[in-house]
Amino acid sequence: MNDLERFIEKSELVGSENLVLSNDEFSMILKKERFDYVDVPSFNLKKDIRAGEEGIGTALVEVDYGIAETGTVVVDSCEENKRLATCLAEKLLVVMPLSKLVSTLNHVADFLEERTTDMGGYVAFITGASRTADIERVLTVGVHGPKEMTVYILNDL
Amino acid sequence: MKIHDQINEKLKDEVLYKNLKNFATAYKASKENAYKGLDFESLRTRVHDLKDRDLNKVMQQFNQFRENVEKHGCKVFQAKTGEDACKYIADVMKKHNAKYMVKSKSMTSEEILLNHHLEKEGLQPIETDLGEWILQLANEHPSHMVMPAIHKTRQQVAKIFADYTGEEVDPDDIKAMVEIARRFLRDSYFKSGVGMTGANVAVASTGTIGLVTNEGNARLSSTVPPVHIVLVGYEKLCDDFNQALDIVRVLPKSATGQTITSYTTWIKGRTPSYKNEEGIKETHYVFLDNGRLAFFEHPKFKEALKCVRCGSCANICPAYEMVGGHVYGDRYIGSIGLILTALYQGDEAAKDILKMCIGCRACSFNCPSGIDLQTLISDLKLVVGKKYGINPVKKKVFKNLVAKPDRMKSVLSMGANFQFPLTKTCKTNDEKIIGTVPMLPKEMDFRKFPALASKTFSKRFYKDGYDQFTSDRKVFFYPGCAVEYFYPEMGLAMVKLLQKSGIQVDIPKKAACCGIPAIASGDPDNAKTMIFNTLDNLQGPKDYEALLVLCPTCGGAIKHEFLDFTKEDPNRYKKASMLGDMVTPIGKFLEENNIKFKVKGNMKVTYHTPCHDSRSLDYSAESFLSNLIGKQFVPLTDSNVCCGFGGTYSLDFARISNGILDKKIENIQASQAELLVTDCPGCVMQINGGLMHKKVPVKVLHLTEFIENYLEIV
Repeated sequence: MNDLERFIEKSELVGSENLVLSNDEFSMILKKERFDYVDVPSFNLKKDIRAGEEGIGTALVEVDYGIAETGTVVVDSCEENKRLATCLAEKLLVVMPLSKLVSTLNHVADFLEERTTDMGGYVAFITGASRTADIERVLTVGVHGPKEMTVYILNDL
Repeated sequence: MKIHDQINEKLKDEVLYKNLKNFATAYKASKENAYKGLDFESLRTRVHDLKDRDLNKVMQQFNQFRENVEKHGCKVFQAKTGEDACKYIADVMKKHNAKYMVKSKSMTSEEILLNHHLEKEGLQPIETDLGEWILQLANEHPSHMVMPAIHKTRQQVAKIFADYTGEEVDPDDIKAMVEIARRFLRDSYFKSGVGMTGANVAVASTGTIGLVTNEGNARLSSTVPPVHIVLVGYEKLCDDFNQALDIVRVLPKSATGQTITSYTTWIKGRTPSYKNEEGIKETHYVFLDNGRLAFFEHPKFKEALKCVRCGSCANICPAYEMVGGHVYGDRYIGSIGLILTALYQGDEAAKDILKMCIGCRACSFNCPSGIDLQTLISDLKLVVGKKYGINPVKKKVFKNLVAKPDRMKSVLSMGANFQFPLTKTCKTNDEKIIGTVPMLPKEMDFRKFPALASKTFSKRFYKDGYDQFTSDRKVFFYPGCAVEYFYPEMGLAMVKLLQKSGIQVDIPKKAACCGIPAIASGDPDNAKTMIFNTLDNLQGPKDYEALLVLCPTCGGAIKHEFLDFTKEDPNRYKKASMLGDMVTPIGKFLEENNIKFKVKGNMKVTYHTPCHDSRSLDYSAESFLSNLIGKQFVPLTDSNVCCGFGGTYSLDFARISNGILDKKIENIQASQAELLVTDCPGCVMQINGGLMHKKVPVKVLHLTEFIENYLEIV
């Protein structure tokens, strides 16, 4: 199994939707869909909003890395509005260029080190929607944060 | 409330019983799945080793962490006691006029009773982890480290929510209850002046904490309020992100059987914060000692500081599964809870709960940090047993009977001669049992007791001339008390089998107890006498191919406990060490010597793996047996889960023992086997006794008796 297959397998296991797209296909989605918060620097896309108590509908962010071992995306969310948006959106959508997919957790150790060297650092590993099993161990999503998650995997290789 | 009253109350709680039983089953499957394709042993060794350090090293890590955060204006407070930590946190809240503080889950805050302290000061902590919130509203404390409200039903939660919100709550709709939590807790992040989290890891190289969560409440607690307090024990420190990630790799897998949690969040203090006047968050780190630091220098107990708080020692503990974490533990729960209660709160607080460990060693083999939890509990049992005394009847029996081999022999042969008015034959299997044990307390009446054998194993061995067989190939056999006094047939079956294969069997000059009953009861002095008796009666290792045992608990004692108890006696230590290396369970010996059998008859056979076979002698006869009998073998669900015997544990905690046995019997019945094979006389006593009590017609045989009756040497 290659890293992409492994990533998708693990990501699906936690209920996320995974779509492998070309740049064109992704552009079509951008045209069609509306997002409340957007931060996708590779496409020069930024729509800033400060999510408050009432939350927001959708947030679209580009990730720094994907980790195949666990189906995880890595998002540097030190910027406060990005943090609030990814915490408070009903639906979280992320853009993961395939070139950013690494095999194991330890492959992002250097990245974590670099992003936490200076004052203030906030890097999130996100693997699926916000979930709980605290009542009778019944898995329920959306207890505090996003209820759904979609990963747009951009085939940029 | 006395420990036995607490236990009895929990044993009556059907909700708890069902929730924990279902969880135990589901957990095992999901954990296995999560670790699939990975080498658990090497992963846990890595975590164990990276957490293996002395006080000097931890303080180096701390100083590095502190320097990294203080240079950016974060505040670091070293709390000597829980009270110091509570006071500091309260002061930060007061300084900011914060009435509310949102908290994500923190066992360290449970350790120091933080909420209680803050509430006394008129401050209001708000738990945001769903399970913790439920318990805060219900005014209870967690019964599991990772799933705090596992003892509650949806109906109970609905009632708690209805009382709190004044709304109608559908008692069956968990999704709607989760929605209520989302709605009611959302506002708390925004109205709180301070957010508090714990830390699963604290990375020294950059001064970063890592938080492992599923709900996302720790992200909100550390993001929204203008002030962030991190409460963390020194033991959570590690050097760098590679070490931290090694911990993150095992933690969720062992905790809940998840590959990884929804969120793992890495936070370096002083992030942007619009709610803070300066636009930058104020960050405080409260490093808690509360008794930890001293133990980094302790040769044994430093192990306990390697815990990553996954809770897996509770998840696989058969006694925890019966009584839950409100009894099995204190502020911390499960095996590590018993230990940390003794270390942090003192041995008086732990003296009763320590006894609830049945000694099955499952926790030691499941710990993702490689902590030998059961051995630490056993050590602590000896400490509190010596300091606070043990059951006086037991003490007398150990001292005046079990530790005196000659007296034990004469008293038990007298018993064997005069027991006849009490004995009868069990109808289901024709075995000689004690019909009614006089004055037996009701709770102990859950299994039939075997009658004492009319002649001991040693007596028959010499009388029937088995000592006359000589050969160049020799093994030494240590029968242990159960084979000697109750089940001589098990031993004789083995002797005949080996002699047929041309192997001479020698036995000790005098039968003596291996000391485990005294060790498990916390009686080190008598244990030592018993161990010395046994050791002095075992022939030295020269000339023998193996030291055979039919009781893996005795075998484990010779291999492990004998070394501990002979440390100050070099001659005995050397002998114990050489003998320990030779200890071999009979199945393993037969496999290694390639002794071939053919099967007589046709019946469905299953196998129970004794705890101390798999976990003290690193062996299970399951594959040997299934290879031998092929299609006649049916696997037993949870074969390697304890049968509930634990020696005198089954009398001291009869109801727990009974509950564990009931589950074993359920699995045996589900296997539809006609015969159960195992290779520990203690397990035979427990399982056979339970089956006879319930009149379940499944035959139980020790491996040696099974071979004698159902196989032939080719």
